[in-house]
Amino acid sequence: MNAELQRARHRQMFIFLLVSFGMLVLLGRLYYWQILQSHSGYNLAQRANDEHIQNQVLDAPRGLIFDSQGHILATNIIRDDVYVEPVQYSIDHTDNSQSDLNTLINSLHQVLPQVSTAKLQNAFSIGMAQGLWAVRVAVRIDPEQSQKLRDLQLSDVFLQPRTWRIYPGGPLAAQILGFVTQNDTNNHGVYGIEKQYDTLLEGTPGNFTAETDLQGNPLTVGANNEQPAISGANLTLTLDSTMEYMVENALADAVKKLQAQGGTAVVINARTGAVVAMAGYPTFDPNQYADYSNQRGCLGSEEVYFNPAIFCDYEPGSTMKAVTMAAALDQGLITPNTTFDDQGCISFPDVTEVCNWQYTAYGPETMTGVLIHSANVGAAYVAYNILGPDHYYPYLARFGFGQAYSIDGPEDPGSYRTPDNKATWTISDLTRQAFGESIFATPLQVAMAYEAIANGGVMQQPYLVQSINNNGHITTTQPVVKRQVISAHAAQLLTGMLEQAAIHGYAQLAQVAGYSIAAKTGTATTQGISADKTEASVAGFIPASNPQFVILVKIDRPTQKIYGSTAAAPLWGYIAQHLMWYYNIPPDQPL
Amino acid sequence: MQVRKPILAAKRRRQLHPFLYRIGPLGLSICSVLLVSLMAVLYLSQLSQAVTANQEISRLHRQAAALEREDQDLVYLIAQEQSPVYIAAHAKAMGLIPADPSTVIVLVVPHLKTIPPADQHMQP
Repeated sequence: MNAELQRARHRQMFIFLLVSFGMLVLLGRLYYWQILQSHSGYNLAQRANDEHIQNQVLDAPRGLIFDSQGHILATNIIRDDVYVEPVQYSIDHTDNSQSDLNTLINSLHQVLPQVSTAKLQNAFSIGMAQGLWAVRVAVRIDPEQSQKLRDLQLSDVFLQPRTWRIYPGGPLAAQILGFVTQNDTNNHGVYGIEKQYDTLLEGTPGNFTAETDLQGNPLTVGANNEQPAISGANLTLTLDSTMEYMVENALADAVKKLQAQGGTAVVINARTGAVVAMAGYPTFDPNQYADYSNQRGCLGSEEVYFNPAIFCDYEPGSTMKAVTMAAALDQGLITPNTTFDDQGCISFPDVTEVCNWQYTAYGPETMTGVLIHSANVGAAYVAYNILGPDHYYPYLARFGFGQAYSIDGPEDPGSYRTPDNKATWTISDLTRQAFGESIFATPLQVAMAYEAIANGGVMQQPYLVQSINNNGHITTTQPVVKRQVISAHAAQLLTGMLEQAAIHGYAQLAQVAGYSIAAKTGTATTQGISADKTEASVAGFIPASNPQFVILVKIDRPTQKIYGSTAAAPLWGYIAQHLMWYYNIPPDQPL
Repeated sequence: MQVRKPILAAKRRRQLHPFLYRIGPLGLSICSVLLVSLMAVLYLSQLSQAVTANQEISRLHRQAAALEREDQDLVYLIAQEQSPVYIAAHAKAMGLIPADPSTVIVLVVPHLKTIPPADQHMQP
């Protein structure tokens, strides 16, 4: 090999080695970035994916809530939130930054007058200082404002749609429905049906993963993955919104007119236990629930969001006399004509005597007369002298007192002392419970006790949800018999007694022309406070000959008229009258 | 010894053989460029179709979202107008007043069939 060729080969080898070395360096660097820094250190793969892969959570539409007539009580709307992008703005506007910003802020303020220019300026300043990519400047703007902003196509401003729960009837049935708290990540039902059925109503969110273009728009062609959202279940309630509105309005008017602290009204289907209407006052508007955070219900003891019909217990007063009579009638210990001598007051061993209102002595008095006169002495006599604790307390339990119904929403089981707890129970508890003192019950419990009487002694399970439509899978609630509380014969006798009590007793203002009613008034006072601070109530059913509806109304601490007979009875009659008209129930009495 | 006739495929191959191997560098280059261009055109065409489809899908997504929003607004509007609160307010604005029970006369017509509500079909 000549020297020329030798040199050429050396040069080739040198160039080869040089190129090889360069390649090795590049390979090493490539190994460093692609392998070593890909999933650790700088985590380049993740950062790259974050830039060009979008993972979007698809909100599941919350289920709707209907009344029994198919009218919507709770639905959803989509409204936009407005965001500005301070960091992007500073990147896009290196020159004339402040003048451009002022123009942008003025444009935004013209569309969103509710957001001050100072607030917008602040959002940009803080965002730039803190390196924030997006700052929200307005929440739930009007559709017209959204359209204007879309038309303006402002740079460094974007709209983010958000679903909101809305109640078309405003305060209608608010304490039954509850409301939904809404934040950036979660919507949760609070109180009432919204809370009780939150899991069913909220559905299952989906997700959408796709590569994006430079503007961040998802590339739907190519590798993407979509898991569709599953809508929440729709609920149909037993409420009739027309009757609910009538009852709520009538109750609110009565409370205002009587200058009372509050009130409750319950209407139950006497045959099925379905709740037709359930109203409380004061109440709230779930569309603006935060405005009511300082308001109190249940005589100031609870937040106004609670449903007082199932959460606020009270001493039922004389409406309990029907329960005392039911216990004695069912055991065959009395008949409607059983007579005793009412001296106006009655004494029992070791306890305070029980007296009638204004100490009125009725002399020889039938059991029907006890209900007509609403005689405390008669009720206490039946409980102590005829029934005794062993024959009385099982009936309180059978009528559902002291037990929650597991109806939808937070519920108070109520309470009363029993001989099982000898340390606290006295004879006085028995004699007073007979006429509705020393026992705490919710309005629903009292209404359901009358439902059992109206329904031939059979108590139904009360219910609020008529059906659940979970994406086509429909579950319908069938009326369920809870228990036979008293015999049909005893229920029939008691209905007759209550009918007489309504005709000749204190519930006369509850009478409805053309219809027979079975009703009992109650005026309860609370120990330790003034006797004129009452809870006036009426419980009963209509028509007495073929009961369709059980109605309970209760007015808390009325000041204009303080008795069940004067404060609550007119409201009971008004509600009963409208129910008969609305449901076309033919009169059972001559007009 | 009998000479066997070549089979037809071999004959054809032999006929084509000179053509295949007689292509010069220029021809090969032109063919390559043409082939690459064709592939590029096909690719760009596919890409263009994909982009168009993507834009169309994005537009349809936006339209679906807008329609969904409109649908929910209409549902809300209907719900609001069916609400007794709204009806009562409008009735009051029209000068109607609640019926006074004492002035209402109830007539009982035996065997009268009740008329089903107009919106019965809307019941869920």
